[in-house]
Amino acid sequence: MAICFGEWTIGLTGEGVPDRKLIGGKASSVARMQALGLNVPPAIVITTRACAAFIGGHTTPPGLEDEIAAGVAWLEERTGRRFGAGPRPLLVSVRSGAPVSMPGMMDTVLNLGINDETETALAKECGDAAFARNTHQRFLDLYAHIVLKAHPARPDQCGDPGTWRTAVHDATGLDIPYDAKAQLRGAVRAVFESWNSRRARRYRQHHGIPDDLGTAVTIQAMVFGNLDARSGTGVLFSRNPLTGDPTPYGEYLPRAQGEDVVSGKFTPEPLSALANELPEAHAALLVAAQTLERAGQDVQDIEFTIERGQLFFLQSRAAKLAPHAAIRVAVDLVREGLVDVDAALRRITPEQVMILLAPHISEQALHGAHSLASGEGASPGVGIGVLVSDSDEAERRAHSGEAVILARPTTSPDDLHGMIASRAVVTELGGSTSHAAVVGRALGLPCVVGCGKGALDGLAGRTVTVDGRTGKVYDGALTIEAPDESDHGSLTTLAGWAAARSPLRVLPPSSPEARGAVDLAENIAAADPATIGDALNLIKGARGARGGAIASDEGVRAALAAGLEFIVADPVLPPLLAALRSKAEAAAPSDANERP
Amino acid sequence: MTVSETHLVMHGLAIKKHATPEAIAGIVGLDVEDVRAALGKLVEAKRVVEARGKYLLTPAARMALDADYSWVYEGARANPHFVAGYEAFECLNGSLKQLITEWQTIDVRGQGVPNDHSDKGYDDKIIDRLGDLHERAETALRRLAQALPRFSIYRDKLSAALEKAEDGATEWISDAKIESYHTLWFELHEDLLRLMRRERQE
Repeated sequence: MAICFGEWTIGLTGEGVPDRKLIGGKASSVARMQALGLNVPPAIVITTRACAAFIGGHTTPPGLEDEIAAGVAWLEERTGRRFGAGPRPLLVSVRSGAPVSMPGMMDTVLNLGINDETETALAKECGDAAFARNTHQRFLDLYAHIVLKAHPARPDQCGDPGTWRTAVHDATGLDIPYDAKAQLRGAVRAVFESWNSRRARRYRQHHGIPDDLGTAVTIQAMVFGNLDARSGTGVLFSRNPLTGDPTPYGEYLPRAQGEDVVSGKFTPEPLSALANELPEAHAALLVAAQTLERAGQDVQDIEFTIERGQLFFLQSRAAKLAPHAAIRVAVDLVREGLVDVDAALRRITPEQVMILLAPHISEQALHGAHSLASGEGASPGVGIGVLVSDSDEAERRAHSGEAVILARPTTSPDDLHGMIASRAVVTELGGSTSHAAVVGRALGLPCVVGCGKGALDGLAGRTVTVDGRTGKVYDGALTIEAPDESDHGSLTTLAGWAAARSPLRVLPPSSPEARGAVDLAENIAAADPATIGDALNLIKGARGARGGAIASDEGVRAALAAGLEFIVADPVLPPLLAALRSKAEAAAPSDANERP
Repeated sequence: MTVSETHLVMHGLAIKKHATPEAIAGIVGLDVEDVRAALGKLVEAKRVVEARGKYLLTPAARMALDADYSWVYEGARANPHFVAGYEAFECLNGSLKQLITEWQTIDVRGQGVPNDHSDKGYDDKIIDRLGDLHERAETALRRLAQALPRFSIYRDKLSAALEKAEDGATEWISDAKIESYHTLWFELHEDLLRLMRRERQE
């Protein structure tokens, strides 16, 4: 088992995974990676018990300081570094980690242990004074924001650390500790205190989580991907997250730290670059990707750093997948025996299916299409209509039955009614976070932003086709194609699996049996998911129903309650998934609260 | 100097646009009956038109309102508390827009794809960050409300939207058809831009 430094603190050795209730989520994932035989930067954990004692007694529990000191000494021994001293300084990260994740808990602070002396030592060690300075500034910035909750105007990037400390002091009257041990004490205390932050307390109350559970604190050695030519950092997906193709996909940045990859300031190299430079690390990574995927039973998004040729795994979690990839992967994982059919179906959302089946401009029509304007595609989908440059006019014309596209230099809350009435929105200025983009997405409206000042002049009155995915505005009404569910291999497979398990049959309109369904198209109550149950009460004895909101989650629930045999819908998969969820909720009512 | 009720009603209408008396009253902090009475007079004066129970400023009224801003809020524009609050808000505005964008769009290998909300961990993290941002916005709103007390309405409404989102009703983050966090934030921004006589960037 793990090594204990006393009553409150544990060192993670890789032998067994301690109780999650004791060490929290973050440390559990470190321990799980270690248990799979993967090399993880050494870490110690202050247990949830210490937090509970702190909250109960309003002060650091007796002996904790000594235990932390012993834990840090253990980290020093394992890394061959010294905390708060040269020539090879040990820097650590501090993370909160409750057994259940909740809002309001302290965020991660990196690079604890740095001050003027250790900055100098680090600069010497990596031969990169700018990096050492940056590491120092990053620490000051994080400590000020996260621990002291101070948000002073940031001195310019090359500002010296003394100026930063003074700025924080002037803004808050509080000091960022200079001494490494004091930095650690401050951060640990801030984690404990965040357990009782307003948001954490509200969340626990709302979800019935006991107040005395407490959060753990994980203290982990930082590793450096920028020490020499045999160092670097990167990310690896166990499968391609955009397509679902079962080939690992990764990016590698030699001589760099983790944040450099995220910052976008540097262009990472493909993983093949690593295969040339450090073939052993590359091979080990690919093996680990398989191991982690099998253990996690899902596609993994893995962060790693290589320090002087030694590979470290920093984090592995279920990867976020594009909808196309999610559908493909769900089927593949079942075929490969990694998950069972029920688990695969649980992972698919109706939204993913609808995105896959969203109408798009036909290839043929695109071929001869004339582009009138182009910008950033901010909200996917295709809209066709007459270009109108005023929101009131858009609303008026839409009310009289015309399909309109709203084109504005920018949009503001003044334009909301015009946006709601339109089939798509196009703007001249602004990027993917502009008002038009944000509201367009919230409304599920195709949206192209930033076409350029004056780019839409003179286009009012023309019929256009807007592609919110590619950011193009085409002349005329182009032909639209809607993909058919039955043409899509993975969707057909999933629908077959879902049909075999669903308590309700869902028939496509083309099925001969579908003709026997009662059509709810004319029923006003049936058009609204909130009242469709009333409509179904009126057709007692019917075998099946179609139309109205019958294919919505509420419609499916009402159909089950009314004892219908089948409903008619296109596509069939979303209502089948809803029927399966209803079945699962009926079997385990407590799960119903999980995703309200 | 007190701001007249008529001005406040017109100002609320400029922000809410196409609004019911209840919606206007809710955003500017007046009694609904007072708002109804003021709207009645404004309709008579042909400054406001009614359509299907909702009200709308006429173009002439909009011009008159814009002209009013120059003197009505002179005091606020000269008040260092208010200006500091406004500037702090502008600083947070970029983060809020970025955050809402991440709520709606996930980054997969550098490509933005719609967030299908299948990853609860991802969503929870964003709601947590929204809570952080809200705590900073509260400081800015306190300073604004010191000069113009009605700004505390935004603080209360933003808190209410955040708490609903934290409790799982996530439409309160960015749904454009309700007083979601994003809807309120943009109305607040619009309110401030009008008072400060600034132009929206995007």
